Amino acid sequence: MSTVAWITARGLFGRRRFLMLFPLPLLLVGLATTSRALGVDPGQWGQPVLVGLGLAVVLPVIALIVGTGVLGSEIDDGTVVHILTKPLPRWQIILPKLAVAVGVTALTAGLPLYVAGVLAHSVRFGLALAAAATVGALAYSAIFLALSLVTRRPVLLGLVYVLIWEGLLGNFVSGTRVLSIQQYVVALADRLAPTGLLETPVSVPVAAVMSVVAALGFTWLAINRLRSFSMAGETS
Amino acid sequence: MSEPSGVIHDIGYQRYTGPRLGRRHVFGALYLHGLRTAFGFGRSAKAKIFPWLVVGILVVVAAGVTAVRAQAGVVIMTYAQFPDVMSWLVIFFVAVVAPELVSRDLHSGVLPLYFSRPLPRGDYVLAKLAALFTALWLLLGAPQLLMFLGAAFSRDDGMKGVAEELGDVLPGMLYAGLWAVVFGAIGLLIASLTGKRAFAAGGIVAVFLMTTPIVGTLSIMPSQTVNELALLASPPTLVQGVGVWTLGDLLVPPGTEDTVRIGDFGPLYAVVLVAVVAGAVALLLARYRKVATS
Repeated sequence: MSTVAWITARGLFGRRRFLMLFPLPLLLVGLATTSRALGVDPGQWGQPVLVGLGLAVVLPVIALIVGTGVLGSEIDDGTVVHILTKPLPRWQIILPKLAVAVGVTALTAGLPLYVAGVLAHSVRFGLALAAAATVGALAYSAIFLALSLVTRRPVLLGLVYVLIWEGLLGNFVSGTRVLSIQQYVVALADRLAPTGLLETPVSVPVAAVMSVVAALGFTWLAINRLRSFSMAGETS
Repeated sequence: MSEPSGVIHDIGYQRYTGPRLGRRHVFGALYLHGLRTAFGFGRSAKAKIFPWLVVGILVVVAAGVTAVRAQAGVVIMTYAQFPDVMSWLVIFFVAVVAPELVSRDLHSGVLPLYFSRPLPRGDYVLAKLAALFTALWLLLGAPQLLMFLGAAFSRDDGMKGVAEELGDVLPGMLYAGLWAVVFGAIGLLIASLTGKRAFAAGGIVAVFLMTTPIVGTLSIMPSQTVNELALLASPPTLVQGVGVWTLGDLLVPPGTEDTVRIGDFGPLYAVVLVAVVAGAVALLLARYRKVATS
């Protein structure tokens, strides 16, 4: 484990605010357990809990908080200069940070999704959800990490993407779903374990290719931006 | 040993002798500053991007709805339905504005400077709350006003039609005020917990969004009472429940009653709404009794 990854992980978990990450996954597991215990048909609660909460809220919001936090909080308080002044190639800074972000996101979002998937259908469905969520975590984290280098307000811009693009427009203008990580995750999970609980207009090859393109493209963008990064003062 | 030879020069310091404005003026200034901050007035162009993005989308939607109604005579949404349909944008607006109002002050540690003025700690909280309420109400009310003007000028039955429209839009505006109070109080409370704007914004969105699926799950439980109480679980649907109880078919046009069922629990919804707002404000006041910086 490289030093950069170590520092990043400590920055994430060393403070109390990482506790903020836990209510969302707990809620997901709690709702799935309650529905299962009361004998509600999974065909009814699967959609609101697994997609409505799990894939549309828990995964992107955790990826947003973690993904913008791994680099963004260091930029915010200025300590990023300590890393930038070390003779490290920029990819050796971006990749460990991305790995930590993906790992934490995949763990905190994938684990509850696995549990909820098992409760909804089968172990295979749970594993499919967790695997798809990991792919989603990779793409989301790459996007949000790059955002924290492109703009001074990465969280708000990320929220625009999650809330307005995926949430609002995805419901009304179906064409935007082709460019939505959430739909890729649904498509991949449905391909890995066809259950009839998930549905999406996006085809599996498109989802797989676009996820990889997003992950690689935004990682490259982040490395490239860090090459010419300049510290600026606080925005007004 | 020589004598000390220091001299005190008069370099012209003077006491302030002008009028001293009291507590009310401090409150007013803080309120006005908060309202301007909400929309990014008096600040750089970057600070205007996100608030005005939301305002822009809302106005475009309202204009579209008005145009369709004027041309085709189809009512896509009533005045009161407007906040409901736009709820995600309202959440985003709160996530943009609430951290600007309180988290910046916590982050830069200027609260001791504020409280060295004749400004009680409660006033600071109430001024910020009032600014956020007003901003949210303007955000939701202005597009309704636009819709009203469009409808009023396209009615062909004269003043009677305009009066009818007025009877529809005024409850809609009050309903927008209800949204503003609930979202403002909860949003500001969450934002006041952290000095980092990024975390405050994420926290606000997480709280508002994570409660929505609870409603979805509760409303498919095998018990009618639980179904009818389900809307209590999330702020947007709580407001909606109160709206359904008080506004009736202004909010739920005939034919769509199935989507929101609250049974006979209307008064309970109103009580819970008041309790939520009062609780949030009380917690905010308690938070600012001690805090200086985050």
